[in-house]
Amino acid sequence: MKNIENVIAKINQIPDEVARVGDFHLNELMALAASREVNNDDVVFAGTGLPMLGILTAQCLNAPDAVLIYESGILDGRSMHIPGSVADQRASFMSSQLGGLMDTFGYYLQRGLVTLGFLSGASIDKYGGVNVTYLGGDYYNPKHRFTGSGGNSDIGTMAKRTVFIMLQEKRRFIERNQYTTTPGWWCYDWPSGDWKPKKEVWKGTPFAECGPVGVVSNMGVFRFDDNGEMYLETCHPGVTPEQVKENCSFDLNISRVTGETPKPTYRQLYVLREIVDPERLFLPVSLPEYPAGIKEIVEA
Amino acid sequence: MGKIMSLEEAVKTHIRDGVSIAMGGFTGFNRNPVAFAWEIVRQGYKDLHYIVGHPSCATFLMHAGGNLGIHENSWCGFGEVFAKVDLAGARLLREGKMIFEDWSHGQQAFRMLAGAVGAPFIAYYAPLGSDILNPEYDAMKKAGLRDGSNPRIPKEKFIIMDDPFYGGGKVIVVPAAKPEVGVIHAQKVGDMGTVRIQGLTSEDKEIAFACDRLVVTCEEIVSEEELRRDPENNLVPFIKVDTIVEVPYGAYPSGVPYYYDYDSELIKTWDKLQRDEEAIRKWMEEWVYGPKDWNDFLGKVGVDKLIALRASRSTGYSGHMQRGKNPSPQVFTPFSWRRKAEEV
Repeated sequence: MKNIENVIAKINQIPDEVARVGDFHLNELMALAASREVNNDDVVFAGTGLPMLGILTAQCLNAPDAVLIYESGILDGRSMHIPGSVADQRASFMSSQLGGLMDTFGYYLQRGLVTLGFLSGASIDKYGGVNVTYLGGDYYNPKHRFTGSGGNSDIGTMAKRTVFIMLQEKRRFIERNQYTTTPGWWCYDWPSGDWKPKKEVWKGTPFAECGPVGVVSNMGVFRFDDNGEMYLETCHPGVTPEQVKENCSFDLNISRVTGETPKPTYRQLYVLREIVDPERLFLPVSLPEYPAGIKEIVEA
Repeated sequence: MGKIMSLEEAVKTHIRDGVSIAMGGFTGFNRNPVAFAWEIVRQGYKDLHYIVGHPSCATFLMHAGGNLGIHENSWCGFGEVFAKVDLAGARLLREGKMIFEDWSHGQQAFRMLAGAVGAPFIAYYAPLGSDILNPEYDAMKKAGLRDGSNPRIPKEKFIIMDDPFYGGGKVIVVPAAKPEVGVIHAQKVGDMGTVRIQGLTSEDKEIAFACDRLVVTCEEIVSEEELRRDPENNLVPFIKVDTIVEVPYGAYPSGVPYYYDYDSELIKTWDKLQRDEEAIRKWMEEWVYGPKDWNDFLGKVGVDKLIALRASRSTGYSGHMQRGKNPSPQVFTPFSWRRKAEEV
């Protein structure tokens, strides 16, 4: 039986020193990179999987007051057990208010209360537009049909900032999505279909300045310049900017790289593994062991 | 007591080939009216016009059963951790056997709200700039269905207009959703029809009011008096309920807060089976067409499973079910609750 005081005492015993390469899994690095995007005053709209790990870890560490919204109708749930999805009853535990999609997409999102969206996608274009609809073939005869938008296109366009967590592959970081589910900084102006800056298409609405501000992949962290174009900010340990560029099919700007993505600390790893996802719902089952010294404290 | 029917009778009364139907709940995790969909598959209705957001387990069965003709959806999967793509649905789409119309969650929810409050259309900003608004991808128009002949199908998918009142830029006007039949699954329904839902409500209230005829399947029928002691907790009033069906475990394998948890094992099994058409056909034969009735189906599921899924009366979910690779830890307070940044 764990009470909060014991848990805090234990966490405080774990040294907050930077972990050595080999002591953490890539997914942990990504989740913690994502968690650093969360500010303490953020109202966050998160999807299932790594986005969820990122925000839940942030609530335990750097952003305890951040409010989490799950699209199914949950505001500021405080889970004891990691939810399997945004509609899991575990997600609503101790929430401030429980409602439905009108609450989350209407009262919260379109009303302008959401400051950060946390999403993923099948492919991303160089302006941060995302496809979660289909890949290959054509729309009416798709090779791989995915789920479709869900809340992706709503959150990605109306949250003040959006961070995407993506798998880095040449076919996933592309010039133009085969299907733009969630518009990035450049998008279609229907009905003509002209390709224009989002700020023009959304001009006059409360959401013209909203859009992607970061991408966390398994190779690096990306930002967007004034033209809305993606550039590489940091590379994960052991990865070079050239390698990232090789895994993009558009001409990635690597001139603004500031260095290496910060490695997790042992304390962060402990929180992610033992507090946020001890059931290994999203983290891989085989994680690197804690080094001697830390392991003793964890197991004590 | 005229509203109370058996599952078989309720499906027979409300469903016919081509009927438009909306279903409640949220993905494989929350109050999906699975038993009702299961009975639709058994009775073999065709060409249903399905207007939904995300009722994944029910959708999975009706895709496998080939019951849908038009599918308007904003998220088509059947569980999030375990699998994302419903291959039977993708196959129907590829073979041109089902018309699939893509929306965003917000759009579908707003359309259902418009239907619920009797408004013919509603304005919503997102997702301006998306291919969801590409005229080439208006599947129902391409199929010639937007000619005004079907009162359930609007003549346009959407209209983009300038905000005429406040000059607030462009806005998307979407038509109300007008399903003929709505089906939601609740924990409790009073014998007159008052609906009590515990946990998140998804789009169920909007569906309940948008449809012409509402069927509520429930875990238990209780006395109206019980539900009227705290009416603020009731979601839908009895005057909007047409049919009540008591069907215990009627959302299985999706979860019902405070009654039972979702069955991740069965959803994972579906994910495995769906890769092989023959395997899923056999499963349907044994588990959908085979059983005498829903109770017989539950008997096959077995008492061990149903007990493992039984939800805690305190948290609303099961603490005994293994979901990930490790068992659930015994925790009684959420760690992130009332934390201060300096404490870590």
